[in-house]
Amino acid sequence: MASKAIFSTLRRSLTKPNRAVSRRHHLSTSSAATASEPYAGDEHAIVMKGVRISGRPLYLDMQSTTPLDPRVFDAMNASSIYDYGNPHSRTHLYGWEAENAVEVARIQVAKLIGASPKEIVFLSGATEANNTVVKGVMHFYKDKKRHVITTQTEHKCVLDSCRHLQQEGFEVTYLPVRTDGLVDLEMLREAIRPDTGLVSVMAVNNEIGVVQPMEEIGRICKEHKVPFHTDAAQAIGKIPVDVEKWNVSFMSMSGHKIYGPKGIGAMYVRRRPRVRLEPLMNGGGQERGLRSGTLATQQVVGFGVACELAMKEMEYDEKWIKRLQERLLNGVREKLDGVVVNGSLESRYAGNLNLSFAYVEGESLLMGLKEVAVSSGSACTSASLEPSYVLRALGVDEDMAHTSIRFGIGRFTTEEEIDKAVELTVKQVEKLREMSPLYEMVKEGIDIKNIQWSQH
Amino acid sequence: MVAKCQVISLCRSLLRAGRKYPDYNIREYTKRRTLDGFRMNGNLTDPSKVIEAYAQGKQQLEVVERVLKVYLAYAYPPKTNHIMELKV
Repeated sequence: MASKAIFSTLRRSLTKPNRAVSRRHHLSTSSAATASEPYAGDEHAIVMKGVRISGRPLYLDMQSTTPLDPRVFDAMNASSIYDYGNPHSRTHLYGWEAENAVEVARIQVAKLIGASPKEIVFLSGATEANNTVVKGVMHFYKDKKRHVITTQTEHKCVLDSCRHLQQEGFEVTYLPVRTDGLVDLEMLREAIRPDTGLVSVMAVNNEIGVVQPMEEIGRICKEHKVPFHTDAAQAIGKIPVDVEKWNVSFMSMSGHKIYGPKGIGAMYVRRRPRVRLEPLMNGGGQERGLRSGTLATQQVVGFGVACELAMKEMEYDEKWIKRLQERLLNGVREKLDGVVVNGSLESRYAGNLNLSFAYVEGESLLMGLKEVAVSSGSACTSASLEPSYVLRALGVDEDMAHTSIRFGIGRFTTEEEIDKAVELTVKQVEKLREMSPLYEMVKEGIDIKNIQWSQH
Repeated sequence: MVAKCQVISLCRSLLRAGRKYPDYNIREYTKRRTLDGFRMNGNLTDPSKVIEAYAQGKQQLEVVERVLKVYLAYAYPPKTNHIMELKV
């Protein structure tokens, strides 16, 4: 009896700590199993706006803006330090040096587009250039010309300026586009009237990346003697731009889309034949009276160097970006079906790939793709979840427009980044489709559009 | 006339400098552009063109080293790694 008691207490004292230890082990292994931290070193994860990402995301949003090229940064630094004079001061060395720097940049920008340096006006960006041209030309010719033609897929600043003109009493025709995003030339020809003052068509669309048939449009405008304006912010440095071949009278350019600084842009205003425009910024008459105000010398210098680099590297970058675009598209198409490219695949700038994934909910796709910095079709146009007007003009269904993602490939993108983006996108889309009952029905062969949904 | 060892030494200095960049994209771009640039100009026979290409290369090396000093001076943002640099 006593021995039994002794043995039982001995057993209890021996097993208790062991049991306690094993419970702790059990807890730690189970928590280790549920923890889904794939990366080591997660203590440096970034937590912002309620989202936790393990590192800086892959940058695939080159259409919204581009990182600054180190060579541009170098030129801008030197200029910020030494060219601090006002370029419009005629009386002393500091002004002369700054003016020289600005003139060098002007020549560099003009060479990129095939223009003369005297036809380039520097301003704060493509938005200001678009506003100046659209409003300035119509205000100058307001007695004789009351009509403007533009397309439905233009940038918001052009559409908003046209709406402002409509409120002032001008008439605007918004040309529809075909399903591949290109403008119908016959419709353009029919829309031109004797009192048309401006035709504005953007060269490369920022959302879908299609390249419009600029030479044909230029020829039509020359026949009817209508000034032709193009928003080439996404086009310069990426596709060959020539103002003589395209027969443009006005062109808007932006610095931060070609690896240059933000806050600078340029406007090309043709001198032969002369087109007149009313300035938006009045003042001391700088920049041929079209844009008064002191120029930010280092921004201008940065823009010039960026243009020169773009001209030198255009062929090399185009080859690289085309290769990456094919890799991305093939990689996604191999593993997923129901992938639609928005916009024409032939007449397109390679660095812009706008894909729609069928049977996937758009917002959840974007929330899952937090490690890839991309833009979507709806979010970049408004704060509400209204699908983008560009996709709507293409005739894309609402559900496909919501799941559109725009991949922007640029000079600095690497092959490994593309592979990783493909992997993450495919994983996310597959995960969402697995959960989706609509996709199950489609796989069984049911046509979604012809379902009679019963009321509960 | 530029000797072959000078060209190789220039290439190696550019690659070595490019490896030090804190930013993943610029690091990879410098490496790729240097190698492609030297490869594209590898078949030049005209001596004046060779000297011109070598001078351009030397200028690019100066730019890379100058910019690197500024990039390293501002270690911003601190302590975060690019997704591609994280080890799975």
